[in-house]
Amino acid sequence: MIRPALAIARVKLVLELRRREVLFAMLLFIAATIVIVHFALSGAGAGGERAAAGMLWAAVVFTAVLGLLRTFAAESEDGALDALLLAPIDRAAIWFGAALAQLGFLIVVEVIAVPVWWLLFFQHGGPRILPLVGALVLADVGIALVGTLAAALALGARTRDVLLPVLVLPLLIPLVLAGVTATYGAFGEESDVLRPLGFLALYDLVFAALAWGTSEHLLGD
Amino acid sequence: MRALGRPSTTIPLLLSLILIPLTLGMTFWWTPEDIDQGLSQKIFYLHVPIALASYAAFGYGAVCAALYLWKRTDDWDLRSYVGVHSGTIFGTLVLLTGPIWAKASWGVWWNWGDKQLNVFLILFLYYCAYFMLRFSLDEGERRRAASAVFVLLGVGLIPLSFLAVRIAETLIHPSVFTTTGAAMPSSFLLTFLVGLAGMLSLMALLMAIELRGKRAALRVLELQRRARGEDA
Repeated sequence: MIRPALAIARVKLVLELRRREVLFAMLLFIAATIVIVHFALSGAGAGGERAAAGMLWAAVVFTAVLGLLRTFAAESEDGALDALLLAPIDRAAIWFGAALAQLGFLIVVEVIAVPVWWLLFFQHGGPRILPLVGALVLADVGIALVGTLAAALALGARTRDVLLPVLVLPLLIPLVLAGVTATYGAFGEESDVLRPLGFLALYDLVFAALAWGTSEHLLGD
Repeated sequence: MRALGRPSTTIPLLLSLILIPLTLGMTFWWTPEDIDQGLSQKIFYLHVPIALASYAAFGYGAVCAALYLWKRTDDWDLRSYVGVHSGTIFGTLVLLTGPIWAKASWGVWWNWGDKQLNVFLILFLYYCAYFMLRFSLDEGERRRAASAVFVLLGVGLIPLSFLAVRIAETLIHPSVFTTTGAAMPSSFLLTFLVGLAGMLSLMALLMAIELRGKRAALRVLELQRRARGEDA
């Protein structure tokens, strides 16, 4: 289970390094989203650090959805998915490998985008780093798990690219809510952060378990 | 296609015909008027049972989805679809009656501080996406499995949404409207329970009718295929 998943994730990352299809698009997209949300909220006056936190989370989620659109693209275009399905590996491994690659993309994008976001909005102060990074990492895990699951469901649909965001976004609302709460908490005292971080971990566990249990039904026959 | 028993329409029809008018009668002539909210509180006997019936339908849809994945009998897929479909129709009613109540008692059409409303909105968006998923896949095994998996994910989403909204409340919305304690007069409770039973019967009736219709439609398709000489 783990070894085939790691192999699938590695293939996806190597392909990305060669083709550079997704990462650059995600980086440009997250930058554009932050700018758009910033200007869209600029009339709202106050807000300040809270508005900046909201901007970051909105941008992260939409960028993740952009990346997810290409999750199984290479496989389904080359017919490699059929070969993968025929391979004597667990179907959960295919999903898990794709989720790992997605997690990798998200982390790379955030490693570049979050410091820039910080510089743009917090010349003085800012949220505490540890809770913010913790919230982002836990949320990335959840987004990758749930997003890859939805991408697997949408596989083979006539309107896959339109369908995927519609499937994923409602599932991610609780995650965004907890992420934003954790970020607000990171501006304040220690105690405010633990509950949303715990929630994010619980979210990851619940959806990992649900995906695991249903994974044999996920990818086409 | 093998059908799993024929759902009764007579019993839920009789129950709805008795219980729903009874609820309305009890609401307007028996329960005392609420001191704070006055007449507008009476929508409670309609709004809350509809919401609970909607949750019940989603729950039924999820149970049938799990049974489909386990047994692989097409009829469970059909039942699961009917559950989610009826739940979404009732959900639309919840999202229509909720704002009416909110406007009458709080003066706003939508209150982002209310936990129940927010959770319901998330779930409504989620179950609407179910129909997009289902109808953009071609009819067959794959569509049935994908629909079932999606409905089962909702089982995780419902409690997580409640929890997330609760956690966020402390930092995002300082609680404005505190719920008063459980000091509900017995006439309130009884009317509410009769209303709930009425809505559940109506839900069962609608689901039974839709299930029969869907089965008939599938049967027609099958016969047409056979008439054209394509073996079913």
